Amino acid sequence: MFSSPLLDIEIKLNADIGEFAGWQMPMKYISYQDEHMAVRTSCAFFDLSHMGRLRIKGKNDELDKLVAKDIKKEKEGKMIGPTAFLNERGGFEDDVMLYKVKEDEFLVVTNAINREKIISWIKKNSSLDVQDLTFDLAMIAIQGRNVWNFIEKVDLQPLEFRLNTKFMGEDVFLLSRSGWTGEDGVELWGPPETLSRLITRLVNLGVKPAGLITRDSLRQEMGFVLYGEDIDSTITPIEARYWVFSLEKEFIGRDRLLEQLKTGVDKIRIGFKGKKNERVLPRKDNPFKVLGTQVGYVTSSTYSPYLNRVIGMGYVKPSHLYLGFNLNIDVRGKLIDVKISDFPLIK
Amino acid sequence: MSNEIVVGGKYKVLKDRYYTETDEWVTIENNVAKVGITDYAQKKLRDIVGVDLPQPGREVKAGEQVATVESVKAAADIYSPLSGKITEANEELITSPELINKEPYGAGWIFKLEISDPKEIEKLLNYEQYINTIKKREGL
Repeated sequence: MFSSPLLDIEIKLNADIGEFAGWQMPMKYISYQDEHMAVRTSCAFFDLSHMGRLRIKGKNDELDKLVAKDIKKEKEGKMIGPTAFLNERGGFEDDVMLYKVKEDEFLVVTNAINREKIISWIKKNSSLDVQDLTFDLAMIAIQGRNVWNFIEKVDLQPLEFRLNTKFMGEDVFLLSRSGWTGEDGVELWGPPETLSRLITRLVNLGVKPAGLITRDSLRQEMGFVLYGEDIDSTITPIEARYWVFSLEKEFIGRDRLLEQLKTGVDKIRIGFKGKKNERVLPRKDNPFKVLGTQVGYVTSSTYSPYLNRVIGMGYVKPSHLYLGFNLNIDVRGKLIDVKISDFPLIK
Repeated sequence: MSNEIVVGGKYKVLKDRYYTETDEWVTIENNVAKVGITDYAQKKLRDIVGVDLPQPGREVKAGEQVATVESVKAAADIYSPLSGKITEANEELITSPELINKEPYGAGWIFKLEISDPKEIEKLLNYEQYINTIKKREGL
């Protein structure tokens, strides 16, 4: 089991530590609902040190063949945004955040559970040099509707990032205007001691600490997928409605995506909202039913503090993707009513 | 002497009540048992977002599943510590299930039950036995 290098300071801030993807991480502090609303109305920070952080060096062309988005036309010093490594069947090896440092140097953030798999996969499929920075650097995200009131104005354009820069007077390795919450903010990589000092300063400014439970409820409200829950090696970006590829170029899995675009898919991702007073939470793999017949399955669900109702996502037969259509979810034998809703669910 | 003991620096156990192996607490007054889940249980479940309460009037046996607590982590069954008739369910939990997180031993109580077999009380755990149960599970 790995541990976040920031745990000491987080325990001082009353973190409730739990296990996620083989890492000891802060799951919450006092209440995920308060932390969630802090992001939607004010500002909070998250420890993301469990995520895999890799530096990839080598031929631009080689990485371009592995990744689903076209990276050759992107400028240096740009965040290429979420994209994916796919397998031959078009399924996700991982969805990743990609940064182009220089023509032949990239940074990649992988899901925690896929870090080792992706390192091996890149080495197997290319001669690229992969350096694992995960244990050298910690990572935090500062997110929220009023984020700029709490931190010094960061002169960053969307999709940009900076290396070896200063943030609030501290030397950080990477600073980017990104996040996964639907709110504005920044993500930082830096030495654990630097980020511990930053955390103290942020808390003194009134920025709330938030845990991974809140990060999960925030991303579900936005309709963002989580690897291992909503996507995996058997799900393609077309089924997931996750537009992380450029069909104009070659990449592993492209043929399968082209085939699906021609012949159609058997299942497609939907979002759903429950009724106002329903507090039964659907769980992964609970069946979606119409007139008693299964038409799909749930992959994620939570209680949205913003909407005050159950929300989630899953897959249904494409014939049943009607926005506003009612589905039943069989939760331990009890049928609850939900309505198919477009993403983001909080729109 | 304080009524409260903190186990493992984290989990509160109160001396003035009985406990079960399945993490319910019980207080008894005039043959009526009041039941909730322990601080240890709510901390393990993390954020509670819903509760399926038992219907008053229902006859239950000791060990029978009577309620379900929904948390962001899992759904947990709540078992009746004693046999008897449910007399009341805590309706406040319908709109404010987070009371179980905030006050597990107080406002977060779940149901009350008229005891039909007082002998069963002897089978419940006292606070020391429950502390040992937690220590065993946590490897303390």
